[in-house]
Amino acid sequence: MSEHSSPADSHGPITRVGAPSSPTAAHDHDGGHGHHDDHADGHESHGGIGQYLAVFAALCVLTTMSFLTYSSVWPWRDQPHVGWAFMMAVSCTKAMLVVLFFMHVLWEANWKYVLTIPAAMMAIFLALMLVPDVGLRNRMVAQERVLHMARPGDLRLMEQAAEMQVLADPAAH
Amino acid sequence: MNASAHSIPHGHDDRDAHGHDDHGAGHGHIVLQYQPGLPLSKGKLIMWLFLSTEIMFFAALLGSYVVLRFGAAVWPKPHHVHLSEPIGAFNTFVLICSSVTIVLALEAAKANKVAMAKNWMLTTLLLGSLFLGIKGYEYSAKFSHGIYPAQPHSRIYEKPDLYYGAAVRARLGEPAIIEQLKTLDETPEDKLGSDEASARRRLQKIRQMVTSPDQQPFDLAVVADQIMPLPSEGTGGHGGHAEGLNDIFPWLRLPAVIPGGNMWASTYFLLTGFHAIHVAVGLLVFAILLSYRLDRKRAGMIENAGLYWHFVDLVWIFLFPLLYLF
Repeated sequence: MSEHSSPADSHGPITRVGAPSSPTAAHDHDGGHGHHDDHADGHESHGGIGQYLAVFAALCVLTTMSFLTYSSVWPWRDQPHVGWAFMMAVSCTKAMLVVLFFMHVLWEANWKYVLTIPAAMMAIFLALMLVPDVGLRNRMVAQERVLHMARPGDLRLMEQAAEMQVLADPAAH
Repeated sequence: MNASAHSIPHGHDDRDAHGHDDHGAGHGHIVLQYQPGLPLSKGKLIMWLFLSTEIMFFAALLGSYVVLRFGAAVWPKPHHVHLSEPIGAFNTFVLICSSVTIVLALEAAKANKVAMAKNWMLTTLLLGSLFLGIKGYEYSAKFSHGIYPAQPHSRIYEKPDLYYGAAVRARLGEPAIIEQLKTLDETPEDKLGSDEASARRRLQKIRQMVTSPDQQPFDLAVVADQIMPLPSEGTGGHGGHAEGLNDIFPWLRLPAVIPGGNMWASTYFLLTGFHAIHVAVGLLVFAILLSYRLDRKRAGMIENAGLYWHFVDLVWIFLFPLLYLF
C-alpha cells in the first residue's frame, strides 16, 4: 500500500506506520498538499484572521506601553531598574504572543519542546558564562587601563562643562 | 508486500503487512517503512532546527551586549549617541505590521486566494524595505556624528584628556581644515548667519584653548562640549539638544567625546547590523516567493518564510528596548 500512496506523499520513503492504511485513508493524503499538515487540516481550530488581528492589537498596545517608560508620564524616571524590569516583562510578553500565535507554536505537537527548550537553555547558559570574565571586568582594573577608560567622573566633567557655559554668547558683552 | 512482516519495525503492524494488495508482485522484495521522527514536514523541521541555532546566535549577541553594558564603568544614554526613541518605536511598529501581513499571506494561500496572498506578500516586502530604509537613515545620522564601529572613521573619544586634545589639534592642523578656517575667519560678519557668527567666535576660542600653554584639564571638557555637546536628559532624543560646532560647520568633523561611546558603537552596529542582514535575507526570500504562484501548494514555503520572518521580528522586540530605552 505504500506503493499506492507514494505519488501523493511527497516524503518518498516516509510513510506513517501508525496510520490506518485503508484505501480511503490513502486517498486522504491526496488532498493536494505537499506536506503533512494533518493537524492543520484536521481541525481548523487555530488561526483565524480575527485572532491574528487581536494579537496585532495587543502587540501595538504593548509596544506603546514600553515606549511609555521613555515619556514624561512614567512615574519612576529616577529609578531606571523599574523601567528595565517593566520593559523586559513587556518584551517577553510580546515574544510569547509572536511565538505562540504567529509562529503557530500553540498548536504544534510536542516536538516544539525538543527544539526550543535546549536552545533556550544553551542561550541562557551562554549569557551567564560571560558574566565572570566580561561582566565583572571592571571590578579590578589595572592602573594603566584606568588612565584611558571612560569613568563616571568624565561624564560629570562633560555635564559640568555644559552647565557652566564658559563660552556662552560673548557677543552679549 | 506479502508477509514481509520482518521488514516492519513494529509487530502491531501485522495487519498492514498482511494487507490485501499486490499479492504475488514482489516475492522476497523487502519494503521498508520508515517512521518519521517528528510529525512535521522536512522543510519545516529544517527551518525550526535553523531557528534554534539562530536563538543561540542572537542570545550570544544580546547576552554579550547586556553583560558589556552593565559591566561598563560608563555607558552612554540613548540621547548621548543621538538615538531617537520615536523612530525606534515606529520601526518596531513596522516590523509588527509585517509579521501580521505575512501571516495573512499564509492564510490567503491556504485558502487558495492567489492574488490576495501575493498582495499580502508584497506588503510584507514593502514593510521590510521600509524598516531597512529607516535603519539606513538612523545609520547615516550616526555616521554624520562621527559614530562608527571602529577606527579610522570613528571620531569618538572616551574622555576629554590630553589624547583628545592632541586629536583636536591634529585635525585643526590638517591643510584642508587650515584653508577652510582661513576662509571662515576672513568672511565678513554680515555674510554669516547669526548662529554662525556666534559659532565662529566659539571656534576661535577653542582653537586658542587647545593650543594654549597654560591649558587646564577642565578646558578640554569645555572644548569637547563646544564641539559636540552631550544632549541633556528629557530633551527628547535628537530634537532639542544644543548645536555643537560639528553641527554648524559640518566640514569641521572634529573629534568628539562620548564617555563609553566606542563600546556602545561596537555593540550597536553589531546587533543592528546582524539584524539588518537577517531582514535583508528575509526580503530576498519574499522577492523569490513573489515570483511563484502563491496557491495552496506553496503554503508550506510561505509558512517557513513566515517562521523566519517572525523570528527576525522577535529579535527586534528585544533589541528595541535594550538599545533605545535602557
